[in-house]
Parts: sequence; structure tokens; C-alpha cells
Amino acid sequence: MTRTVPFRRRSLIRTAAGLAAAATLGAPAVLRAQTRTLRITTWGGKWGEMMKGQVLPAFEKEFKCTVQADQAFPFLPKLQASPKGDPIYDVLHTNSNEQWKAVDEGLVMAKITAREVPNIADIYPYAISDKIVGVSIFTSAIGLGFRTDKGLAKPTSWKALADSKLAGQRGGYIIPVNSLGQAHLMMLGKVYGKGLNDLDAAFKAMAELKPIKLVDFTGQMEKMLLAGEVSMGVIHDSGIYRYDGQNQPVDFAIPSEGVLALEQVLNVTPGSKVRDLAFAYIDYMLRPDVQKLLAEGVWYSPSNRKVKLDPKFDAKLFNTEAKVAQLIQPDWKWYNARKDDIDARVTRILRD
Amino acid sequence: MRDLPRRPLRAAPDLRHHRKVIASRPTPVAWLIAPAALLFVLFFVLPFAVMATMSFFSHNPVSNPNAVLTFRHYQRFIDDSAGIFHEALLSTLRIGLITTAIALAIGYPLAHWMARMQSRLGHALLLMAVIAPMLTGIVVRTFAWMTLLQDKGVVNTLLISWGFTEKPLPLMYNEFGTVVALVHIYVPFMVLTLTGVIGRIDERLEQAARSLGASRARTFLEVTLPLSVPGILAGSLLVFALSISAYVTPSLMGGTSVLTLPMLIAQQVGTSFNPGFAGALGVILLTVSLAIVVAYNRILARLSGQGNLA
Repeated sequence: MTRTVPFRRRSLIRTAAGLAAAATLGAPAVLRAQTRTLRITTWGGKWGEMMKGQVLPAFEKEFKCTVQADQAFPFLPKLQASPKGDPIYDVLHTNSNEQWKAVDEGLVMAKITAREVPNIADIYPYAISDKIVGVSIFTSAIGLGFRTDKGLAKPTSWKALADSKLAGQRGGYIIPVNSLGQAHLMMLGKVYGKGLNDLDAAFKAMAELKPIKLVDFTGQMEKMLLAGEVSMGVIHDSGIYRYDGQNQPVDFAIPSEGVLALEQVLNVTPGSKVRDLAFAYIDYMLRPDVQKLLAEGVWYSPSNRKVKLDPKFDAKLFNTEAKVAQLIQPDWKWYNARKDDIDARVTRILRD
Repeated sequence: MRDLPRRPLRAAPDLRHHRKVIASRPTPVAWLIAPAALLFVLFFVLPFAVMATMSFFSHNPVSNPNAVLTFRHYQRFIDDSAGIFHEALLSTLRIGLITTAIALAIGYPLAHWMARMQSRLGHALLLMAVIAPMLTGIVVRTFAWMTLLQDKGVVNTLLISWGFTEKPLPLMYNEFGTVVALVHIYVPFMVLTLTGVIGRIDERLEQAARSLGASRARTFLEVTLPLSVPGILAGSLLVFALSISAYVTPSLMGGTSVLTLPMLIAQQVGTSFNPGFAGALGVILLTVSLAIVVAYNRILARLSGQGNLA
């Protein structure tokens, strides 16, 4: 008996050490298994700061999960490259045109309803219309931004951009890479031709806008307007209103022909392993308090009808039935089907 | 004596077997080369094979069950309905060739000076000067050029204030600005490649030519230059390959007036989500570039009389 005691003690110590080591090594895996991870895409800039600083931590706390947010654009090629059964993202946040491309390839769900996302019951119809794949959580309005210190009258029509006084002082987008540019091209078809799908009229009108300074994203257009490199340019209202109170000589105009909707669309990937969490995230983003926070932070028009904005935002954003009726939603499915030809033709026009 | 010849005969099969075993074992050199070979396979052969395969499919065959074999991406390039793809290819090659020629013109004298410099300190300082720009990222260097060459940049501001011009000169958002920035970025590659080759040329050959009455210019043209052809070839190929595949600099310095194949490829992947056509453009760029490289090799080999270079 006396000889067995040390042996038992030794084996006990060994066993305990082994268990401790296994627990130490295995603990993160166990924790990971307990804490679910939601992988999303989201924008950078002020939006990204608010998401990472306030919105996502609150979501993580409430739903006891971690959120991995990818801000490195472009998202769709990464999703295309990942297996459909184990996609790189659970929730894809893009503009509407990219969601249409994604659904064509079976990368996102074709339809999301109030059954999966209850707050859909409270959103404006445009945000879940047949022009949208997924759910639009916010929109901004594409119109004309202009300098107020150049003696220009506030534009009332899209035709104002073609004013000969603005030669070399007007701004647009590299159409193949920017959805505002693509939407503007369709608007030219409506203004100068038979409708948004009148490409011949649109191409002709685009040629008339030369010389025009082209950029590939809205942030550059904001900088050009602020620096006075362009006097008038195509831009969304958020890109101008966010400088409210900073004494900048820029303003936003809503042309009489209407403004184009630039929707911020969320959708769920069919292969997501945390689909319930993905729907919960979309529902969370549609909550009135979250909508108000982000709408007032970045000047986006909220999709939820129940959001009560502060007066200065209420006056400018599209947050009533009458106001959202002014939003024109392009048919991105139609556009995407012709994108290659449009890209080639418009590139030729703007290079000649 | 009768038994003696039998011994080697008996031993011979064993020896052959032994040699075979030795031959089948990788040599130390092979082991040393293995990481580089693996790297080449992993980061060139494999991605290129994937890209080339994708270029013959209508959609991504991994994720799309409806993907079919097709030649349509190549057909689209050949048809070029709007005339931008051929123009982009020509523009890419033109920028690559001009950048290479200027980098060679700037880099050769510098490399020659470095290679012949007696002072170790001078050589080290010059080497530092050549390498210094490489310590900064391409994006930063390109932005620095933008600061210098834009309409309200340093160069135009000075030219206007000194009265040389009334309006800003178009120094960027064109091929000129793109080439200037590319030359600055890639000259070090040319210099470093050439310095090694010129440094290995036996100076006594030049001295012999001079002692036989050849002028400095003739000595250079008939002795130094032909012997430095391998360096010219290597440096040119390096700079040409880097220039035609450059994306950041042409995008930032070229604005909308410069369209190169790498820009089109990025567009196809990033915004048109068409990896098949992007793959086809990549294959076309590589094929045309290889043809140019082979032609360049042959011309240089013929000019220098070094047939083995071709």
C-alpha cells in the first residue's frame, strides 16, 4: 500500500496536467463553438465608424455573437470565389445593381419576407419592391450637387448639367465601375429620350456632356466639388448634406425629372451556416432606433416608416410616402444584362 | 586470371543499380531549387492555369453548374465592337515599350558609372540613392508624382509663376504622366540588373581596344555594349513585364484618358464580375508579351552576335 501512494499521486498529477493542457488548448475552440460568428460586408468612412463603434457592438451584445465586417471592396468577386455551401459572407451589403448580379449567380436569396425579417412589415414599399433583391435598409437620392459660389442658379433639371458654361467644370463617373454613373446614364435616356431604357438617347446625351471630369467613386466627387475642381456634378444627397454646418459652398438639387434611388441593400447568402442570425441582423438594421442613428449620422433616408427624424434631417431626407414617391428605381436586371455592351460603348464615347 | 574478368562482370549489375539509386535521389542542388520551383508552380503556373481554364468557360465552372465551354470571351476581344480592347492592348504595350526604353536610357549610364566606380563609399552612396525610392510604396510614389504634376501642382505652379506658360500644362491624366511615374518606379530595377552585368565585364578588354587605337565611343560600341547585352536583355524584360502589368500607376496617373489591359482586367473582376473575360484578357496579354519578348531577344542576340541568347 505504501508503494502505491506515490504512483497514484504521480498519475493524478499527470492526468491533471494533461487535462489542464487540453483545456487550455481547447478553450478557444470551445468558446468559438459557443459564440457564433456573423460575417458581413459594410462600407467604410463615417458609416464604417458608426457601424464598428456603436451598431455592431450593440448587436453582438444582444445576440451573443461576434460580427466580422469586411470593408475591403469589391465584395462580390470574393463571394464568387468562395464555395456556395460555405460562403465567405452571411450577409451581403451592396448597392442594388450588385445584388441583381449576385442573385443571377445564386449567391444571395431571391426574396426576403416579413416572416424572416419582421421589421419588413414597417418599411416603405420601394425598399422591398420588385426592383430590389433583398431589402433596402436605406436609400440616398442621386441628383445634382453644385457650388453655390460660382454664380450658378440652383439646377431644376438634369439638362442643367449640359450648360455650355460648365464645359470642363462638370463632373460624372467612370460608368463601367460606378452605379451612380450607370444610373445617370439611364436618367439621360429618360430626360432626352423615351425612358430609362432608351440607350441611344442616353449615349447621345452623354457625348454632349464632354468635356466632363470623371471619377470612380462618390468620395472623389465630393472632394472635387469641395475643392472647386467641378462646379456641378452627379452625386447623391448624402454626399452633400453630410457637410451641413461646415460652411461649405455646396448644395444639392432635386431635378424636376426626379431623383434616382441609390439603395443600401442587405441580403443573405443561401449557404450561410447562421442564417437565423443573418436575418436577425437585417431585422436589427431596420429597427427604428438603429435607423435613426445611422440616418442622422450619414444622411441616408431610412426605409422604416416609423423612424422619427430630428427636424433638420426630416426636412431634407426622403422619409414620407410623398417624398419616397419621387424616387426612381432603375431596372438593374435589365441594365446588367447589357452592361458589357454599355461599358464598351460609353468608354468609346468618353474617350473620343 | 580467368576469374579476374568475371569479378567486374558480377559487380557491374550492382554498380548500375547503385548508380540508378543515386540518380533517382534528388541532388542537394535540386533540394535548394525546390522552394523556388514550388513557389513558381504555386504562384504562377497554378493561378495561370486557373485563369486560362476560366477563360474558356461561360461561367465559373466551380460554382455554376450551367457553365459550358466556350470561345466567346476571346471572340468578344477579337470582335471588339466598340474598339476599346485592341486600343487598350496597344496602349499597354506602347506604355511598356516607352517606359522600358527610357528606363534603359537613364539606367545604363548610371549602371555603367556605378560598375566602374573605384570608390567603395561612392558606390555605396550611389547604390543607396538608386535603392532609396524602392523603400517607399508604389502608391505613395505615385501620389507624390500627382502632387508634382497636377494642374495646381508644384511643376505647373512654378512654370506659371516664372511666366513660361499661362495655362497649366497637361502633365498628368495622360500617357505622359503615366510613363514618367512608371520610369521613376522601375529605373532601379534596370540599374541593379545592369550594374551586375557591366561590373563583370573584364576592363582589360576595353583597355586592349583603346591600346589598339579605338576611340572611347568605338570601344564602348564594339566591346562594352555587346558584352552588356545580357544585362540589357534582363533589365528590359524585367521593366517591360512590370510596366505592362502595372495597375495602380496607370489608374492614378492616367485618369480616364489611359486605358490599359490590367485596368480592364480589374474592371471585369471588380465591377463586371466576369472572371472569364478577365482571364481571356490575361491570357491575351501574356501571349502578346511573350511574342514581343521572344522577338526582342532575337533582335538583341543578332545585333550583339550572341546567337545563344536567342
